[in-house]
Amino acid sequence: MLRLLSENRRAASALVALALLVAAAPSASLAQALHAAVPAAPDPGVPDSRAPLDPGPWAPAWAPVDDPEPWLPEWSAAVDPPQPAALRDLQATDETAQRLATPEAVDVAPVEPIPAAKRPPVLIKTILGLIALLALAYLGGHPRMRVLEQRLRISQVVTAGFPFIALGVVANLPSVGILTDTVLDELTPVLRLGLGWIGFAAGYRFDTRAFDDLPKDTAKAVGFATLMPFLTVLTAASLLLLLASDWTDATFRDPIFLRDALILGTAGAMTARSASRLVNGNANDGWQQRFKKIVQLEQLAGIAGLAFIAAYFRPQGPDLGWHLPGTAWIFLTVGLGATIGIVAYTILRRPATGAESVVLLLGTVAFAAGSASALFVSPIVVCFVAGVLLANFPGASKDRLGDALEKLERPIYLLFLVVVGAIWNFEDWRGWVLLVVFVGARLAGKWLGAHLTSRYTNFDTLAHERWVANRAPMGQLSIAIVVSAQLLFPHGSIPIVVTAVIGGAIVTEVLVQVFARKATPAEDVVLDFEAPEEPAPALPPEVA
Amino acid sequence: MSILLILALGGLMHAARSFHGDGVGPMGSGTALAFGYVLLTAFFAGRIFKTVRLPKLTGYIAAGMIVGPSVLGLLNHHMVEQLKIVNGVAIALIALTAGNELDFREFRPLLRSIQWITLVAVVGTSVLLGIAVFALKGFLPFMADMQLTHALAVSMVLGVTMAAQSPAVVVALRDEMEADGPVSRTVLGVVVIADLVVILLFALVSSIAKSVFGAPGDALETVGRLAWEILGSLGAGAMMGVLLAIYLRKVAGGAALFVITVTFVMAEVGTRLHFDPLLVALAAGVLIRNLTHMGDKLHHEIEASSLPVYVVFFAVAGANIHLDVLALVGIPAAAFVLVRGFGLMAGTKIGARIADAPENVRRFAGMGLLPQAGLALALALLFAKTFPEFGDDAAALTLGVVALNEIIAPAIYRMALMRSGEAGKRVERQAPAPEGVEGEAVALPPA
Repeated sequence: MLRLLSENRRAASALVALALLVAAAPSASLAQALHAAVPAAPDPGVPDSRAPLDPGPWAPAWAPVDDPEPWLPEWSAAVDPPQPAALRDLQATDETAQRLATPEAVDVAPVEPIPAAKRPPVLIKTILGLIALLALAYLGGHPRMRVLEQRLRISQVVTAGFPFIALGVVANLPSVGILTDTVLDELTPVLRLGLGWIGFAAGYRFDTRAFDDLPKDTAKAVGFATLMPFLTVLTAASLLLLLASDWTDATFRDPIFLRDALILGTAGAMTARSASRLVNGNANDGWQQRFKKIVQLEQLAGIAGLAFIAAYFRPQGPDLGWHLPGTAWIFLTVGLGATIGIVAYTILRRPATGAESVVLLLGTVAFAAGSASALFVSPIVVCFVAGVLLANFPGASKDRLGDALEKLERPIYLLFLVVVGAIWNFEDWRGWVLLVVFVGARLAGKWLGAHLTSRYTNFDTLAHERWVANRAPMGQLSIAIVVSAQLLFPHGSIPIVVTAVIGGAIVTEVLVQVFARKATPAEDVVLDFEAPEEPAPALPPEVA
Repeated sequence: MSILLILALGGLMHAARSFHGDGVGPMGSGTALAFGYVLLTAFFAGRIFKTVRLPKLTGYIAAGMIVGPSVLGLLNHHMVEQLKIVNGVAIALIALTAGNELDFREFRPLLRSIQWITLVAVVGTSVLLGIAVFALKGFLPFMADMQLTHALAVSMVLGVTMAAQSPAVVVALRDEMEADGPVSRTVLGVVVIADLVVILLFALVSSIAKSVFGAPGDALETVGRLAWEILGSLGAGAMMGVLLAIYLRKVAGGAALFVITVTFVMAEVGTRLHFDPLLVALAAGVLIRNLTHMGDKLHHEIEASSLPVYVVFFAVAGANIHLDVLALVGIPAAAFVLVRGFGLMAGTKIGARIADAPENVRRFAGMGLLPQAGLALALALLFAKTFPEFGDDAAALTLGVVALNEIIAPAIYRMALMRSGEAGKRVERQAPAPEGVEGEAVALPPA
């Protein structure tokens, strides 16, 4: 486990260092070199995706400069009829987001060679960049550095993959220019694949037989754990809307408000699987195992919520084909997942070597995610359904598949985070305001859920304020839900929601570490973000 | 069952694409869909080909060709273009593998054979193909009315272009067949050196052709450009090799990720710097194998991640085969394929005889020189760019030759490896245990 953790730290620090080095390079930098397959932005007239577009502090992102509305969260702008509001979404000007939903360009840009005079400096910087990468990877793995990380308690934040988001952010800065919009266009499939992988992995762990022995109060516990934060986040978002609109023209019937609030609530209801490691006791004791299952049930609720949102708030338009009611899209989503699951079962149960299993799994998930994306449904949901079917069908190939899944999960997820960081439009300050509200409301909801669970069920979730460790960490599914939403509804206020959730995940992680620092002495609680069954170090007795 | 799965996947692919009338979905969805579809379909096609004793690699190429824009159109041109992002990494990975296989201690006894075969077979075939092009110029519309000197110049350039080999196919087939022995080693050595030789020859004859056509040209500039491309590539490759070796030795953790990053840099930055990514990666691999003890470790790291890259790379190569072009230039292209095949086989026999190579090398090494892919295409496109008046037609002819060789040659080389008895003879190398702190738990000092 420590080996895995150290690898991740090294890779993270090394990649961030490379980006920083490139950022420091003045002119024809590695950044320029890494544009390789890509020339400059295709249309110089198109505004930078990061450029502030809003004329007023809270004006909708797509609003014209002379928009009469003073501060207006997008969801309060237009009320009726619902459908045009969704159509209006298509008018957004957030370029990066918009490009994610628009059809792919037909022409592929040619490689632009670097002029002869600039080649030696670029070469030198490239080599220096790689040397820096190497040096930082070495330093990142050095025992003293690891001791320092553990003392400062930054291990978890690092191993949770957040430096990879930072790397994406840095790489997308205009001064660095590695992950430009054009490069991001090429890397968008990674986002789809990453979402599919997260969904598939969650589904593949959902072996229904493992839920047979849960106590009878489990349903209640899951209900409290998911409903409370969902409701508090929903309420907080509504209050924010009311405050922002002077209590006059606010309406909760605006489908965009409803959609965004549901996305926020669904993301907020999720708990990281890794939180089970902060539960007292060891990995094999009953409570920790039950906790994991409860978190899995929470994930099921999140997946269902995402399927609902994707089906009932679909963008409409002549280019989107197949005009069906929302319920039909729910059936279609599940049906697509089931169909792919059956095909995947037939594919994956055949004998294969380790490398062949990787090919088959990668191909299956990419195909499922691509099919879902082509139909404008969520890749997470479709792949989750396929994963659940695979996990619950009979067969002897599960260990082999589990190995392949685990082997690829981390690299794909980290790459996914880099792209997420690159498309993260964090410059809109409304997102940061929403972040504070979101984190506060979510923690309140989690606290309330823990209290109610403790009172009305047999689960003891409150002892020594353990609920923070148990409930607060946000998992990869939360991030995946908002990224999936951004791909499905790439315009308007979704970037604000993304800021709130991604930023919220980081802030929450720091809060958990602060809490853990107060509650435990320096013997560390090293977590592996979303890692599967590894024995975890027990918390010290004073916490237990 | 593989056929049924291919049909099921094709049906699903068709259904997914039918959602958008123009077949172009939201950004990135088409690429993810195409990537998954190609990976699975090509993989199963490879299995089917294996059962009929053909190389899996030919199955990957055939699958790409059939589902690609030329036949079924399940992959459109845009998807194929987007999937080419895999190509750069694939070529660099393959070259790194090839370089890492070139252990000079093992190759020293074969050096004389490699030199003579390269000289006689590769250079000789270039000359032979040049003569054939000149002789058949009456059947080639773009050369029919050319002056004698112009026709000679174009013949030389086309002769060199069509003689190019494919290290990628050779390395991939060697891996697939787990082959080892004098034939596979000699072939590997020859195709790697031939790559350099063909680049040099192309630069030389295209400079001559340019001066014949009266295009402005500067000999010094050409030499400088060549020096930059070849020596620069080798130098950059050596530096990359040092970095990789240090990483593998001192860090080790996350090595696969680092190797992929380095190959990506080699491919993308190298191209823009006018380096040959193949040479860069080759030099890095050779250095690691011969000057460090990290060769086996590198081999394991590459092996772990190479199969998906290979499958997509060769399937995309198949999807890029323009069958419409092949239909137009089919007859002359087939003639040149035969001439090339004859030249390489006969040249290898002569070269091997001069070098007093083992009997198996004389008989079978020529078959390993037949595969052709990326380099010939790149040179053809360069040729088209240099001579825009007729270059496109000439490039189409070369594309036709490459297409035929892509389809036929891997099967012939597979047969050679089987008949020479080298298939399945590779001894698996063990990766050395990494040095340093990797994998060690760090105990905190007592509070």
